[in-house]
This record gives sequence, structure tokens and C-alpha cells, in this order.
Amino acid sequence: MEIRLEKFSKSFGPVNAIEDMDLAIGDGEMIALLGPSGCGKTTTLYAICGLHRVSAGRIWFGDREVTHLVPQERKVGVVFQSFALYPHLSTFENIAFPLQIRKESNADIERKVKDIANTLHIEELLGRRPGQLSGGQQQRVALARALVRRPDVLLMDEPLANLDAGLRLEMRSEIRRIQRESGCTSILVTHDQVEAMSMCDRIALMHKGKIQQIGTPDEMYHQPKNKFIAGFIGNPPISFADGVVEDGRFVAQGLSFELPDQIKGASVSAGQKIAIGVRPEYLQPDFATAIEGEVTFIESQGREILYDLKLGGGQIFRSIQSSEQTCKLGDQIHWGIDVNSVFFFDEQGVRL
Amino acid sequence: MDDRKTNWPLTLFLLIVSAPILIMYVWLFIDSVSEINIESIWPEKFTLRNWRFLTEEIPGHGSVWTATLNTTIFATSVVAIVVVLSSTAGYALSRLKFPFRAPFLGIVLLLHSFPSVTLIISIFLMLRMIGLYDTLVGVILVKAALELPFGIWIMKGFYDTVPWEIEMAGLQDGASRFQVWYKLVLPQIMPGVAALAIFSFMAGWSEFVLPLILAPSSDTRLLSVYLAGLIIDDYLSDFGLFKAVGLFYVVPVMIFYLFTQDKLMNIYGGGTKG
Amino acid sequence: MLPASVTVTLFFVIPVMMTFVFSFTTMSSDTGILGNRYIVTKATILDLTEHGIDAALVRQLGHKVFRFNDAGLAKIREIGLDSSLVKEIEEKLSGDEFASEKALFAALKQLINRPRSFKHRKAISKSVVNTITNQEFRTAAAFRAGLVANGIKVDDATFGQLLDLTNTSWRWTTDNYVELLASDFTFKILANTAFYVFFTLLFNVGFALVLALATFYMPSGQSKFFRAVWLIPRISPSVIYVMLWKWFTFDSGFMSYFLGSLGVEPENWLNEFPWTFVIIVNGFVGASMGMIIFASAVLAIPADVLRAAEVDGAYPMQQVRRIILPLMAWPILFITSYQTLSLLTSFEYILLLTDGGPGFFTTETWALNAYHTALSNYFGNLRYGFGATLAVVLVFFGVALSLLYLRLFDFKKLVAEPLIEN
Repeated sequence: MEIRLEKFSKSFGPVNAIEDMDLAIGDGEMIALLGPSGCGKTTTLYAICGLHRVSAGRIWFGDREVTHLVPQERKVGVVFQSFALYPHLSTFENIAFPLQIRKESNADIERKVKDIANTLHIEELLGRRPGQLSGGQQQRVALARALVRRPDVLLMDEPLANLDAGLRLEMRSEIRRIQRESGCTSILVTHDQVEAMSMCDRIALMHKGKIQQIGTPDEMYHQPKNKFIAGFIGNPPISFADGVVEDGRFVAQGLSFELPDQIKGASVSAGQKIAIGVRPEYLQPDFATAIEGEVTFIESQGREILYDLKLGGGQIFRSIQSSEQTCKLGDQIHWGIDVNSVFFFDEQGVRL
Repeated sequence: MDDRKTNWPLTLFLLIVSAPILIMYVWLFIDSVSEINIESIWPEKFTLRNWRFLTEEIPGHGSVWTATLNTTIFATSVVAIVVVLSSTAGYALSRLKFPFRAPFLGIVLLLHSFPSVTLIISIFLMLRMIGLYDTLVGVILVKAALELPFGIWIMKGFYDTVPWEIEMAGLQDGASRFQVWYKLVLPQIMPGVAALAIFSFMAGWSEFVLPLILAPSSDTRLLSVYLAGLIIDDYLSDFGLFKAVGLFYVVPVMIFYLFTQDKLMNIYGGGTKG
Repeated sequence: MLPASVTVTLFFVIPVMMTFVFSFTTMSSDTGILGNRYIVTKATILDLTEHGIDAALVRQLGHKVFRFNDAGLAKIREIGLDSSLVKEIEEKLSGDEFASEKALFAALKQLINRPRSFKHRKAISKSVVNTITNQEFRTAAAFRAGLVANGIKVDDATFGQLLDLTNTSWRWTTDNYVELLASDFTFKILANTAFYVFFTLLFNVGFALVLALATFYMPSGQSKFFRAVWLIPRISPSVIYVMLWKWFTFDSGFMSYFLGSLGVEPENWLNEFPWTFVIIVNGFVGASMGMIIFASAVLAIPADVLRAAEVDGAYPMQQVRRIILPLMAWPILFITSYQTLSLLTSFEYILLLTDGGPGFFTTETWALNAYHTALSNYFGNLRYGFGATLAVVLVFFGVALSLLYLRLFDFKKLVAEPLIEN
């Protein structure tokens, strides 16, 4: 089912949490609401499932408007960060709860619960109480409960945050598998870009109550619309440096290079203040545009090595290299950047 | 559920069932300063006559000021005894190893839920025997003793929440066990001490049955007994007077409660006994 | 530690045991509590006649004479009267005798500096009275000497009889328990108590739940208001709270006025429906306590669990029935058992509200009856022993139910051994 938010706004008293948000999610698509805490992603989620009332705008599930429906009438499945299993009910009863509330027949309930339990590989847990389940098992039960009545939309609020690292990896692909199998339109709320990028078809990056950009993980990484997105996506993060345009060159203290043609051709004028963003993989020893600095930090991550390079102007540039360590702390070195992969931003932070 | 709408039938229902309380306490104030008309409950005329008990004795009932002084002495003494004894005993029970600790804890726990009012007859007889009957000292000791199991239990609960590491670190740093208690642990549980003190004060200020039975004469009587005496006096049937005395009696505890309620709520943290 | 244990023992542990001890005695205000006294009371005088003591002797024993002799005058000087009055008494009344208090007061009235207050007249009367009646003697010899001093002569045989009949000391007995089992009142009070505890509990716990849940589903401003209102009964002293209910239900109080405007005759509603109001008055206070506990128990349920119920399709009533109530089983059990015990044993609010009335034993409960029997009644004779017997039953329940709570709580965890070993 297609989900649409039209000019959705939400305010808490005088504080506007979300303003005029438009979002359309295709049928069967899984989208991530990604952003730092307090950006309004959980608020959006709660508005979609009806826990929060909408201040302005409309919400559509397919061609059904649900803007003013109470959560009970919306047919959404929600997986909460804490899983929110009913502690006094067994796994079976937990999963059956949404069906029992709708007074479905016992035979139907039995069959549907068995089916979903089968999909999630939790048949043998049906008799247990939530207290007797591990974190991963609770997660599966919560998913089963959310999916059992074939909801119009599946909402997940930081579903992996309460799991330990190994399990997180496993559940990432599991959730994706189950979502694909069920074909249920899904929204994942997370602050973790890796989760968003690895699990979802598209990402909506939110900041200060606004969607900054919607796109596939690849688009988000390689074509960020602005400085915030470039800075948020990517780990280890991108390095920024401020400078001005002079004679078709980017000039900053201790750093100067010829602007690539498509930037020169675009609307930069001499003397304009711009900023550059260089992802760590585009700063390498053998790249063309020379850059000079002192190595101030080295961290070996096993397969790769992370370096911090301090330029003449004090800017720190990060580099990630997979080869053997070639230098040591304090060395003055000459490396290079790939100018064609550098992002350029104007003074407002919009990418040129 | 995260932003609740007003559910008018529900609000109306609660308003109706809460109405007696609201009405009673509004009229407590109104009637204390107005002349009462038997035909109507609406005040006719402002008067301070109901407050005459402040300056003159109501015949046969002694002075309200003696009762006020007694009540103050009573409540503060009970607080002092309960706080001092509970905070030391609570610590011992929570942290020290001593013979018969478990049985003692069992007894305290038992007494904590034990209805002390059933003991009133034998306490009355015992006070008569040892000559503390009809003295403030006697009734203070009894009230404090009856509050103690509760106090000890609450304090033990608070001490239990203080991390052992604090004490271990203190001992490592060369402090004695007493210093550790006084300088390191006690400050951690000040909210608990405050809550217990507030709770005991309010319990002491309001106490009725014990002073009624154990200290009934006019020299030792408390405000509660004084007011109850007025109400059952057949020659007085003056709700204006009762309400003025009642207001005089209840206002201090209400104000006290308003200023301390946040601290007092700590006592319900344990969730065992209110 | 030590002071705490001493205090707890002295005023808590010993009274529990003493309640049992007292319940096996005939102690009453007639016998005194110290025992071994010889007192001729009005009651014993009636008794004496029935036991065939010579009527002249009985008259003598009941005889009062007010003598202004040296001993009497000495006592008068100690009262603290005006010196002019004392002087006048010494001059005018020395050596006089009066056969009754009335005659004495008449004589005092004739004095120029006559005592104005009744208190003083009574003090004078007390100083000069000579009688064997109501005097306490600790030994037989003192009793004999007292008789002689009052000019009463008795032979040894009669004296022996007198000793028996006037000895007020209490005895050990099991009669209290026999009486308890045999008395018709026992059943009536038991029935009253069961009625009172059951319905108050129902009101209490039910209302506390309704309040806690209703305020939970309200906007926070409203819920704060209602919770504050319901705390008022709890923080006001019982005397005031009950007084306000008396006014509320009085024939010139709010209820009568309100119903009067609907055409209902004013009544003393408390007297009309004593049980209703006993239950409501207690229930309001109990409900406020339950409300606090239940409200925090509801808040202790993770918000996400209730959100989940909501998106799973459960409306508030279904949330309450299927999620909230099952999760509150423990607090509900706790409040119910705690309130059972306190309702069973406390009598403060009934005492203030109806004092067991109106009429005879209408709202008299077990605990109130124990209090009435031992500490306050209209018959004059306070039966400490029998009152203690009634209390023993309550103590028994108290200990049993408290022990039950100990089982319910995790006692082992609560007494976990200290980690620092010294």
C-alpha cells in the first residue's frame, strides 16, 4: 500500500516539531527516516500510526485518508525500540493480541499466528513469556505481532538499538528478508546510517523537522544535496574546509587547487566563499591534486588504516587507506585528492 | 495516548464524585467566617465570632493555645525520635552484621504491617502502671514507637540503594565506619530522611486516637482531641465554631504539605506502605 | 540500634504479649489495675446487704460525715484558698460536723469570704469528708485501721467477710473467652465487621482503581487537579475530615440543602443511612491511598507497551482490561490485603462519625467494641480484661495477616547479608 504525507505539520504547544512535510512511500517499499535525535523522525512515525495527532496536513494510506483516525482504526504494525511485548502474555498470546482484539475466530488466530511464527522461525517459542526470551527472540516476536494482521504499513522505531552488536547484524538482514517476503510497505526510524543504508530502498534524511533529501542510499552518499547530508552520511565522516574562489581556483590557507570544469562553469564567481568536502577515500598518497600536511593521528582498523592530516591552515583532513602503513605520527607528507570527487558547497551549504 | 484529549463524560463523572470533597473544604473556609443561617448554606454575613476561641476559652474545653503548643511539641518530638532512631537502626539493618540481624529484621517487617491500634488497650494499662498515663511524654513515646517500624523499614530501603562502593572507598580512605555513615552515606539519603520527617510530622500533627486515650486531660490534650471535644459537646452545636477551629488546625498541615509534597513523595518510592 | 530496639520492644513487643496477659484477667476500672485493694464502693454496699451483713453496719459503711477537725483543717490550708477564707473557716466552722455535702455547702455560703468557684467548694468538701466509702486500702490492717478511724466496729468474722467482699483486686480467669463465645453481641459485631470491611474494601479498591485509571487517561492538568483533590482527605486530620462529613450530611448541611431544592425534606442523613456514610467516609480516605499506589503502578508500565496495545487496536477499555489490570495484579493484591488489615483493626473514623450508633450497636465493629469495652463506655465500668480479650482476636488476625505479607514479599532478598564484614 502506498503511504503519503501531505504538508504534514506537528507542533507541541508553541514548538513546531515538523513543518510542511511531504513524503510518499511506494507500495512494498522500505524507507528509512534517518536523522540525529530530536530531528522529528519518531514524531513523524507516531503521527503515521496515530499516537500523535496531526496539527496540519493529511496522511493517506492508499486512497484512504487516515489523518484523523485513532490508532485503533489505522491498521498499522509497529515495532518499538523496547519491543514492548506484553509481559504477562505468552509469545502466542502476544502475537494473537491484535487478532483477538478484533474478535477473529480462534481457528483463524491459530492459523495466522502459526504462519507468521513460521516465517520468523519462532515456532518453538510460542509457549514462553517475554521474560524468558533473549533480545533477538523478543525482536522476532515483536515483528510477528506487528505483521500478523497484515498491516497497511509496518513501522519500526529504532528496532535494532536494544540488541548487541552481533545480533544487530543478523537482524538487519532478517528484517529486510521478512519485509520483502511480506511485501509490506515499511518505515524504519533510525539514527544509524549503516542500518538505513543497508536495509532500506530509500532514505529520507531529516534535520530540524524537515526532510533534507530523499533518495537511494547510493544517491545520498554520492550526491548529497547539502553540507548537512554530506556530513551525516559516511563513516568515517567527510572532511570540510572553507575557502574562496580565486582565478578559477579554490584557495584556502595551506590548500589551493584548480576547480573542476563543471564547477567553474557553474555559478561561482571570483571572491565567492565556498566550502569543500572530501571523503576519506578520495585522499590518497597517489592522487593527482597535491595536498601537504602533518600526520596527527593514526588508527589501525585492521583491514584499513585511518589517518588525520593537519594542513597548513589548521584544517584536519581524514584519509582511509587499505595499504600498509606508509608513514608515522608527526611526519610531513605529500598526498593527493581526487578533485572530481570533491563536493563543493556555497555559503548556505547547498551543493554546487 | 501521547497527547490526551479531554474526555468530557469521564471528567464530568470525576467532578461529580469529587464534589463532596470540594464542597466540604470550600465550606470549611466559608462557614468559619460567616454567620450560619439554618435555612441555607449560603453565607449571610461576615463575622469573626467563630474565631473567638483564639482569645477566650470555650467553657469546659481549656485553651486552644495549650492544645496548639502540645500538638507542636508532640509532632516535633515524634519527628526527632523517629528520624534519629530510624536513620541509625535502618543503617545497622541495611549494612552492619550483628547477631540476630535476620530475626530482628523479620520482627521489624512484621510490625511494619502490624496494626498497632490493636495494642492500645494494653498500652493504656501499661502507661497507667508505670505512671506515664496522661502525660505528653508518655503519648509521645508511644506514638514514636508505633511509627518506628515503618521508619526503620523506609530508611533501610533508602540505605539499600546507596552503592556499597561508596562505603568501601570511604573505608579504603581511612574513615571509620561511623564517619563513613555520617559523612558519606547519610548525605546520600537525605531525601529519605526528609520524607520520613515530613511524613512523621504530618502523622503526629493529625494523630487522634492515641492522645484521646492516653492524654485526655485539658493540660495535655492535643488539637485533635480539643476539636473532637467541642464537636461532641452537647451544649455546642455550632458548625461555625467547629469549622473555625478546624481551619485553624488544618491550615498549618496543608501549607506544610504544599511546600513539602515533592519531597514527601519519595516515601512512596519503595512502593510498600503508604 | 539499641535505642530503637528498646523502644520497639517496650511499646510494641511487650504490649502484644501483655494484651494476652490482660485478656486472662478480670481487670476493670472497679478492680483497678494494680490489684490487692480494699475499697467500699457504692456497688459493694449493695452487695453487702445481699450477703447478709447487718443493715446497721452497711449504713455505717455508706455513711459520710464532713468534720472540721484538726486533720480536715490542715488539709484545707493546703488547698491554696484565700487566706481570709481559711481564717474565717478556722474561726467559724472549727469543730462543726455536717451530715451531707449539701449541708456543708449551705454553711459555706453563709461565710463572708465564701468560696466562689465550685472547684474550691468541692476541694473543701474533699478535705473534711470522713467516710470509709471509696477509700483505697492496700492491706487488711490498713482497712481495719480505716474502719476504726471512722468509728465503725466489726467483729473478726464480719471483718473476714468484709475483706472478701471489698477486695477489688483482679483475678486470673478464662471467663472472658467463655463470655466472648457465649455473648449474643459477639455475632452482631462480627457481622457488622464483616459487612464494614467487605463493602469499604470494595469501595476503596474499586474507586482507587477508577481514579488512578481515569486520571491516567486525562490531560495532565486535569489529572493533577483530581489527584490533588483526592489527597485532601488523606492529609487532613481525621477529626476535621469527619467533622466536615457530619456537616455535609447534617439536617442543615449541604446534602439537606441540595436535596431540599429538589423537594426532599431535610434529614440527618448520617442517622438515616449510617452504614452508607461509614463506608463512604472510610472509602474516600482509603481510595486516595490506593490511588497513589495504583497511579504510580500504571506509570510504571512501559509507555511503549501501551502504545503497542493502542496500535494493535485496543481501545482504552480493552487496554485496561487486557493489559493494565493484569499488570497491576500485585499492587492490587497488596492494597487489598493491606487495607483489609487496617480496616479490620482501625476504628478512628467510625468512632468520630457514629461512635457505633446511631442507636445500639448499629455500626459497632470489633475494634470499636474493644475500645468501648475497655476504654470508653456509658456504663461506667471499663472492662479492661474483656476489652483485651476482644483485642487478642485482632492481634491474632494482625500477626497472621502480617506473616502472610512476609510470605508474599521476597523476605530473603530483603535481608541479604552485608557486603562489608565488620
